[in-house]
Amino acid sequence: MQLSIGNMIAGISGARLARAATLALAAVGAAASLSAATPASAHGERSQQAFLRMRTLNWYDVKWSKTEVNVNDEMAITGKVHVFSGWPQAVAKPEEAFLNVCEPGPVLIRKSSFVSGIPAPRTFSMEVGKDYEYKIVLKARRQGRYHVHVQINVKDGGPIVGPGQWITIKGDMSNFVNDVQLLDGTTIDLEHYGIAWTMIYHFIWMAAAAVWVIYWFMQKGIIARGWQVAAGKGKDIITPADKRFGGIWLAGSLLALLFFYAQANREFPRTLPMQAGLLKGISPIDDELPLVTSRYLGGTYKVPGRDLTIKLRITNHGSEPLRVGEFTTAGLRFLNPDVFKTRPEYPEYLLADRGLSVSDPTPIAPGETRDLTVDVQDARFDIERLSDLAYDTDSQFGGLLFLFGEQSGKREKLEVGGPVIPRFQAGASL
Amino acid sequence: MSISTEAGAPAGRAWKSKEEFLGCVILTDWILLFILFLVLLGSYHIHYMLLAGDWDFWIDFKDRRMWPTVAPIVAMCFAAAAQSFFWTRFRLPFGATVVVLALLVGEWINRYDNFWGWTFFPISLVFPSALIPMAFWLDVVLLLSGSWLVTALVGSMGWGLLFYPSNWPVLAQYHQAAEIDGVLLTLADLIGFNYVRTGTPEYIRMIERGTLRTFGKDVVPVAAFFSAFISMLVYFLWWKFGQWFARTDYVKQEDI
Repeated sequence: MQLSIGNMIAGISGARLARAATLALAAVGAAASLSAATPASAHGERSQQAFLRMRTLNWYDVKWSKTEVNVNDEMAITGKVHVFSGWPQAVAKPEEAFLNVCEPGPVLIRKSSFVSGIPAPRTFSMEVGKDYEYKIVLKARRQGRYHVHVQINVKDGGPIVGPGQWITIKGDMSNFVNDVQLLDGTTIDLEHYGIAWTMIYHFIWMAAAAVWVIYWFMQKGIIARGWQVAAGKGKDIITPADKRFGGIWLAGSLLALLFFYAQANREFPRTLPMQAGLLKGISPIDDELPLVTSRYLGGTYKVPGRDLTIKLRITNHGSEPLRVGEFTTAGLRFLNPDVFKTRPEYPEYLLADRGLSVSDPTPIAPGETRDLTVDVQDARFDIERLSDLAYDTDSQFGGLLFLFGEQSGKREKLEVGGPVIPRFQAGASL
Repeated sequence: MSISTEAGAPAGRAWKSKEEFLGCVILTDWILLFILFLVLLGSYHIHYMLLAGDWDFWIDFKDRRMWPTVAPIVAMCFAAAAQSFFWTRFRLPFGATVVVLALLVGEWINRYDNFWGWTFFPISLVFPSALIPMAFWLDVVLLLSGSWLVTALVGSMGWGLLFYPSNWPVLAQYHQAAEIDGVLLTLADLIGFNYVRTGTPEYIRMIERGTLRTFGKDVVPVAAFFSAFISMLVYFLWWKFGQWFARTDYVKQEDI
């Protein structure tokens, strides 16, 4: 048979050439996109439905103690969370919840976490309508720049992501240590503890398994055995010597297992079962009697748009005049520049420092009831996809309105929320 | 370029010599073993990850009740099917071992590359369950008895009972206790708490949930016996699955 390269090339039809070219193009494209790939830096928080973010957990007073740390440095996320009274029917109530951190892998480890001052490494219950204070102590582990959010997971409700901040970690992960003191007083580095033995133990057994497989394979292979079985001589294949070998192998394995088991018990005589269970009775923040109340009179928002208008009837039961200063929802803060003269420390992408205005900017006098229109207007409302409320089955918004005492600056919190009507702009479509 | 058949096999014969024939058989055997290993690795890995899932992924899911109940039962499926194939077709007593070894090779690659290499979870959080001693037991029972019925009864019993002891030599060190902020935690709990998993909240752990509490602190034996009994049933079923998958069907020419 004679084949020449020229004949081969000539034999390639146009269709095959096109296929080959397409494949080559795809390979080049894939290779090019690999080099351009960058690490993911967001957690999809904007993709959560708007009503879910606005009407479940309202985060406020969130602070990151540091935004730049070295490996092994500790930092804390602190803040408060209000469990919205109008918790959506579509989401399970936070009767089983877990205080979590949203970050790209354990780049910071969670050393401890507290809810209302109670250590909360486990699941806990929250009451609708109440506020809780939390603190998460984190220790920097891997160098890089990461977006770190506070998050509360709700059983049958999913993760509810709070505001996030960029944290820069300097140093080298190879220097990271995670010292833990055991009950017997000894200190271990949990970052590396037991890993070498875990791998050795597994690989000993895997090596033994490989020996067992190769031993039988080397006897007669696979195909020759298959022929023998097919010829009806299957019973002759396994000899008494084979059985003896198998018995000895099993006895040796069981003895080895017994040895490892006894050794583990000797080395670790005091072991406990894993700990779990629901932490009940975590108290919410003690709320003083509210000095201000409100009644929701209706609201609208623009689609597409960056504008939410809320009509409220507010009554000041206190002894000093109050001014509307801030509206917060879904981690976003809209500030009234007449009240906030300086910009608070908060992630830029979530802070609209001129995003709130009221129809009557004069303070609400003690004992006065006033109808106000609060206008929340900022691009962030749209960027964070809160106008996507129009896509939701439950078109109600929610959030917290903060009023401030004219003299004392004392803050009063108002939960506001209710049905809102979309106002479609020219050319809007869903 | 030419392909020559000069000095080839004599007319009417495919091989020049017996040695060449045996060489080809041995080479084919190795290729076959390699391919089978990879196929078993992939399919068993998917099966086990889907069914054992978090119980096998995380150290803080490896409790005394649910883990030793679920893991051996779902691991038994491929072990029984592989035994059925290798024993009935080739009288090879390594079906369970080869399939479990394939699974563990795949798991270790996954845990080291993906869980540690990509997302930096320490190996102490993500090491897989040890299954090899159970596989030895199952294979040797089949080898000695030559009976799938005996293997289903005796082998499956040992399979379920050996699971926890096979894992305890590694697990024990992580069941030492520590006091963290006044809360008692084992190191296994603490590893799960320290090394943040955004999508794995604490409440999805099923730590010793259930009603079988008659035997006090001896939770493992109850779970192990229950697991062993169910493994027997699974063995029967999956031995037959193995036979079904390994059968050869011929189609009549006129049907083509």
